[in-house]
Order: sequence, then structure tokens, then C-alpha cells
Amino acid sequence: MPADLNWAIGGEAGDGIDSTGKIFAQALARAGRHVFTSKDFASRIRGGYTAYKIRTSVDDVQSVVDRLDILVALTQRTIDENLDEMHDGSAVIYDGERSWEAEIPDEVTAVDVPLKTLAEEAGGAIMRNVVALGAACEITGFDVAYLDEALEKRFGGKGSKIVENNKEAARLGRDHVREEYDLDHLGYDLETTDEDYVLLNGNEAIGMGAIAAGCRFYAGYPITPATSIMEYLTGRIDDYGGHVVQAEDELSAINMALGAARGGARSMTATSGAGIDLMTETFGLVATSETPLVIADVQRSGPSTGMPTKQEQGDLNMVLYGGHGEVPRFVVAPTTVTECFWKTVEAFNLAETYQTPVFLVSDLAMSVTEQTFPPEAFDMDAVEIDRGKIVSDEEVEEWLDDEGRFRAHAATDDGVSPRALPGTLDGAHMSTGLEHDELGRRTEDTDVRVQQVDKRNRKVETAKAEEDWDYREFGDPDADDLVISWGSNEGALIEALDLLEERDVSVRVLSVPYLFPRPDLTEDIEAADDVVVVECNATGQFADVIEHDTLTRVKRINKYTGIRFKADELADDIEAELSTEVPAQ
Amino acid sequence: MSSDVRFTDFKSDKQPTWCPGCGDFGTMNGMMKALANTGNDPDNTFVVAGIGCSGKIGTYMHSYALHGVHGRALPVGTGVKMARPDLEVMVAGGDGDGYSIGSGHFIHAVRRNVDMSYVVMDNRIYGLTKGQASPTSRSDFETSTTPEGPQQPPVNPLALALASGATFIAQSFASDAMRHTEIVEAAIEHDGFGFVNVFSPCVTFNDVDTYDYFRDTLVDLQEEGHDPTDYEAAEEVILDADKEYQGILYQDDESVSYGEQQGLGDNMSEIPDGAPEDAMDLVREFY
Repeated sequence: MPADLNWAIGGEAGDGIDSTGKIFAQALARAGRHVFTSKDFASRIRGGYTAYKIRTSVDDVQSVVDRLDILVALTQRTIDENLDEMHDGSAVIYDGERSWEAEIPDEVTAVDVPLKTLAEEAGGAIMRNVVALGAACEITGFDVAYLDEALEKRFGGKGSKIVENNKEAARLGRDHVREEYDLDHLGYDLETTDEDYVLLNGNEAIGMGAIAAGCRFYAGYPITPATSIMEYLTGRIDDYGGHVVQAEDELSAINMALGAARGGARSMTATSGAGIDLMTETFGLVATSETPLVIADVQRSGPSTGMPTKQEQGDLNMVLYGGHGEVPRFVVAPTTVTECFWKTVEAFNLAETYQTPVFLVSDLAMSVTEQTFPPEAFDMDAVEIDRGKIVSDEEVEEWLDDEGRFRAHAATDDGVSPRALPGTLDGAHMSTGLEHDELGRRTEDTDVRVQQVDKRNRKVETAKAEEDWDYREFGDPDADDLVISWGSNEGALIEALDLLEERDVSVRVLSVPYLFPRPDLTEDIEAADDVVVVECNATGQFADVIEHDTLTRVKRINKYTGIRFKADELADDIEAELSTEVPAQ
Repeated sequence: MSSDVRFTDFKSDKQPTWCPGCGDFGTMNGMMKALANTGNDPDNTFVVAGIGCSGKIGTYMHSYALHGVHGRALPVGTGVKMARPDLEVMVAGGDGDGYSIGSGHFIHAVRRNVDMSYVVMDNRIYGLTKGQASPTSRSDFETSTTPEGPQQPPVNPLALALASGATFIAQSFASDAMRHTEIVEAAIEHDGFGFVNVFSPCVTFNDVDTYDYFRDTLVDLQEEGHDPTDYEAAEEVILDADKEYQGILYQDDESVSYGEQQGLGDNMSEIPDGAPEDAMDLVREFY
């Protein structure tokens, strides 16, 4: 049997798919196993196919694959949707007492468990999914005691009776399979370890990073898939002296965040593509008034309202070029869940050090993927906070002009001006989105205009020189062929490398977390035979940027179905792409 | 410093480019006097303005200030005040800025009841774009874009505020310096969102809503014995389309501001050098 196990539960939205999947994922994490989850959901509250998938191994797992071993099917559609991923070692847990007649292929082991009846026996039909989890434990040789811990975590707040009933439901499911079936031939026997892992998704990591970085103010407007950042911060940031406000729209959200940032708070807003469109109005003001602000864009399929619950990396051009006029900015894009944490911390430091807007670009796949990590991956002692050039009451004087006015937009050598937070004595000044002089006052003077444009752009030049705009490297460093990626594709790429190795294909992979400024890949590209850029969009926005930077044509692998890359699919695509010519464009 | 602050301390050395005779001069003078009279100084005051003639106010006043984009001044002020409860936050706008593009924000700022003051310079015309109809223009007011008048009733900002749950609604006249200053002072001192609509005549493009018109027609509610805490009396004068009023139309004495209700008291600009001491608890939550 393969070392990893792929498990899924599927049904209709409203069937409790998500929470059931999460409980099993937590149980596996408690047992010291690595977990990587993915979700397939529709943009509706109830009804519509929904699935929660778990890939688990004692080794690190960073991707989904096209194989399903155990499926809990609450509807026939769940089976139909997953048929092509099932194999002769797969098992389907279903409830034969339900009105639908399950059509399960012969080679797949059908495990009929009276989910509803057993749940009622344990105390209520609502627990039928937990009965299924108990059944899954038995099939996979996984001790239900781990499940108990996850059930305690999930239902502990609702009283011991609920917890006990759920534990009983799990045992009834387990016992039913144990008594009715002999499934040893499937050969599943999940190994456990003594490791303690935490299980979280990208949006939770961004929220946690924000608090760690001293973010105190968050304004947002609900939009899939960014909302869970706001949900995470609500109720938690207050404990650290901060506040979350749900604004009336995205225009208001970014302006509130801008106001809080002018007040001196580390401040943030998050949205997704359609919301970024609205926020773009204020984006230039943030940049021109030189206000530090972190704007997270959790991408989803566009354009317009597109496919709100589906994956895409289609906003790159928007975050690189959005906004009229020419606007200095930073664009940072984490490539893993842990990087969602660290890059958020970094985004706040960049924003305040350079007094600029920073786009923190994530994507739907990363935002909903829960993954296990050793807790040290989020070592809070390693968090450093750099607030940049904030001046004290005493330091204000050196930045006053002859008439005692504070030069808030002083044209310094590095482009970064002193920053007097409100309340600083004699630091009062205005800022504006109009072109302004060093004092912040409107001007159309040609020399001052050039001075201020150059000054703002100089911040980017300074940052290019001062900071590391690095990439992460995987695969064979001496390979002739190069694969480049950004965003959440990294995990699938790393796992694709193993599959490619089995086929004697060796490549070098660069995963780029900085989109502007970005590392100069010219030498890497010139040294390579073939260069393939992998991204979840139709036109290859990052490939375009790389061609522009390096004056070299690259190959492209683009996926825009709304589903993230899978490791095995990516291995096939890379192998195929390497054997083709670079298309003329 | 605050004990000997004069209103001129709130004046910048930039000469206003408003037309001679513009109502905005009087409006701004009253705002500066009200800020000084209520014990504020430029270093603890934040003024936010939107776009248009009214938006220029941040340039002519001296304080911490942001001149934002059209219609979004209220959200900016909201963010400043939430992050910095220790600051006096004043938002300035115009009738286009506040009641047209910013009308959505206006309703929500009113109902959020953040403790700041909002002064709207209402001249019933778009001045800076050279004379088009504004949301408060009369329905028969002829302009370059409405040659036969807008043919739709004007927005009643006071009624909009009342319907949105306002806790302080006032109206003043730029040329009645003393009353205008008193009213803005009351808005500043109100514990919640202090909204003042100011008749601030445009001498260049509006020959109907003139100084003379307001001088002749304005009824002072406080002289009339109006009780601003009486909601129904407030409703009556606010919905009275036949008269122009100045004074405090409505004030909820029991008003609890957003910050007080949410327990916002911290100066959010102060943060530790690294992650909070107990930050690993945030990680452990994911066990």
C-alpha cells in the first residue's frame, strides 16, 4: 500500500461536511500524522456538492493527488464525482438505509453502515457523520481514541453529554464495521507518531501573523475566500488591544484601515478580486500619502464575480499595475501556509519601513487548505518588528523647516521620510492624494512634482538594495530544466518532483514569494535549457512578467478550471511541456 | 499647551483659494474656534476632508490631517478615531462629497455613532467643477447639467441622519459666526457622532441660496424654544420643507458612542518590539 492515505467525505452543503472533515483531520494530527486538506464547495448555503478531502502520511504532505482510498459518501453524487479517483483498494462508506440506491463500482469495496440508525442509538441523527468517522477508523486501523480527542475539542464547549454521545456514535460505527466486514485485504493500518502538530489554514496563518506583527486594526467587508481572516481576528485581536470593524463596503474598509494607519496603528484590510477592484480607488491615496497599509488579496476565479469558491491566481496584473497613475508598492505572495504567517509579519515591516501599501497576495486553495506543522514553525520569539522612521517629540525638530513646519514628505536620500504619529508635539501636518510638497501641501510646481515622484520611487530602489528579494529552491540544483512558480502551487510542485524522479526527469524548481520587487531570474533562466512557468490562470501573467524581465521566452503550464494543481497531474504536465518547442508568440 | 491655544493656532499659513465671499471661510473659522474653545490643540486634532471646495480645508487649517478621495472622508475619520480614541477627530465635507458619492458612508457613520464631529459645507451646488446640480439643489435649480432643474427632490440630509439613528443633528449658517461656532462646539462635545449641516453659500454659482436668502428666512430653533431632546419635535422641524432652520435639531443625551460601547480606549499606535508575550497561545489553539 502507498504510504499516504487519501480520505474524503462528500455530500450536500449543510450536511456538516466541513466540520466532520476537520474533526478527522484533527484526530490524525493528534496521532502525530501529517495532514493536508482540500475543500470543494459551491457558492450556496445549502445544497450543492461539497467535499472535504484529507491526504495524510507520517511524512510531510503538501499536496492533493488524483487518488482516493476511503470515501464517506452521503449522496450518490459524492460517489459519481470521485469515481475516476477510486481504485481496487478503495472503500466507500455509505448508508444503505437511505432512500438512494448506491451505485458503487465492483472493484471498490462497499461498506454499508446504517449511519442514521446508529447515530439515533447514540443519542441523535445529527451524529451520523461521526458514526461514519468511527467506521473509517476501523477500515484504516486507526484508534478511535484519537478521534475522542478531536471530538472533545470540537464539542467540549457544549457539555460532556454531547461529547460522550459523539464518542459513543464513533464506537457504534467502528463496531458495526468490525462485526459485519472483514477488510484486512485492503491492508490499511495507519501508523502514529509521538509528534505534536498544529493544524491550520492559510487565512488563519495570515490572521495569526497579523496579531504577532502587532496589527491592531482590521477593517473588512465579507467576501469569499478572504472573510475567514476577519473571522479569525474578530474576538482575538481584542485581547491584544485591537479592533475589527465590518465596514459597509470595501471602499469604506480600506479607507478605515487607512485612517487607523494614519493614526499610527498597524492596520490591515483583506479582500478578494472583486473587492480589490473597489479598493483600487483608494490605493493611490495610500501610496501618495505614504501611509503604511497591508492589503491582503485572497484570489479566487474572476473576472467579475467569476467563480467565488474556486481557485485562481488571476489578480497578479491587478496587484502589480492596479490604480491609475504610477504607484510605488510592494507585492508579497506567500507560497505555503507557514509563509502566510511569516510574510504577513514581513508585510507589516515593509509597510512601515517604507511607508507604502503592501499587497499580501494569497489564493483560495491556500486559504482553505489546512495543513499540519510543528508548532516551532510559528516561533513567536523569532518575530521582529521594525516600525521604520517614527520620530519622537525630541526628534521632530530636525525635520522642521525654517518656519517650524514639519516636513512629513521630506525628500530624503533613501526616499523614506520621517513619520510623526498624531499627538507628536509640533509634528502636525497634512497629507493628501494631490501632488504635494515636502509639507504635504498641494502643488503643481514642476520641480516639486518631479522631486516627490522620484522620492516615492526611490523607496522601491532602497528596498531593492536593502531587503532580500529571494526565491525558494527545490529539486536538482544542477538540472538543465527550470520550473518557476508563485503562490500555493509550491507544495504540489515539490511532490511532483518525486514523481518525476521516478521517471528519470530532473528539474530545478524556483518558487517565488516576491512579485514586486522580485528576484532577478535572468541568470537562472539563461543557464537553463527549458523554462516552464506554472500558474493557476489562463494567460500566464507571471510568465509574461518573467519574459519582460529577462527578455527570454518561457513555456507555460496554466490551469484555470477553478481547481488547484495536483502533484501527479503537474508531473505529467511538466514532463509533456519539457518535450515541446517554445511556442512562437 | 492646550490651556493657551488660540483659534489662530489651527490656521495654516496657506492662503485659501476659495472665491472671495465664499461661505467656507466662515465655516472654517467657526470650526477652528470651536476646536480651540473645546480645549484642543493642533497636535491632538485630526481633520479629515474629502474632495471639492470643502476638501481644501485640511490645507488651510493646521493640525494632523488627511485630504482623502471623494466621498470617503467619514470612513477615514472612523479609522483614525477607533485607532486613536485620544485624538479629537473632525471630518469636513461638502454636499456632493457627503450626500452624493458619500451617502452610503454617511448613513453608516451616523448609525455607528463614532465619537467625532462631521461638518458639511452645504452650498447646494457643485462649485469646484463649475456649477452643476448637487444632491441638495432645488428641483427647479437650473445648472449647466440640469438646464430645467434636476427635476427631483433634494436630499434632506437631516432626515437621512434622523432615519439612520443619529444622536446629534444640527444646522448652522456660515455667516452667523457666533451661532455656528457654538453649534460646532456642541457637536464636538457630544459623546457620539456630531453632525452639523452648514449653509455655506457659493457666491459664484448659486444665486438662489444666497446669504440674503438665509438671513431673511433662517429660523433659530433655540430662540423658538425647541427642545432638541424631544424626538418628535425634531422630526417635525426636520421634515418641515417650508422653513430653513438653524440650531441643534436633535440630540440624544443618553447616547453611548461606538468606542465606549466596544471598549475602545487604547492608543493602538503603541505596540511591543516583537510578538506579544503570550503569542504562542495563538499557535497552541491549533493543536
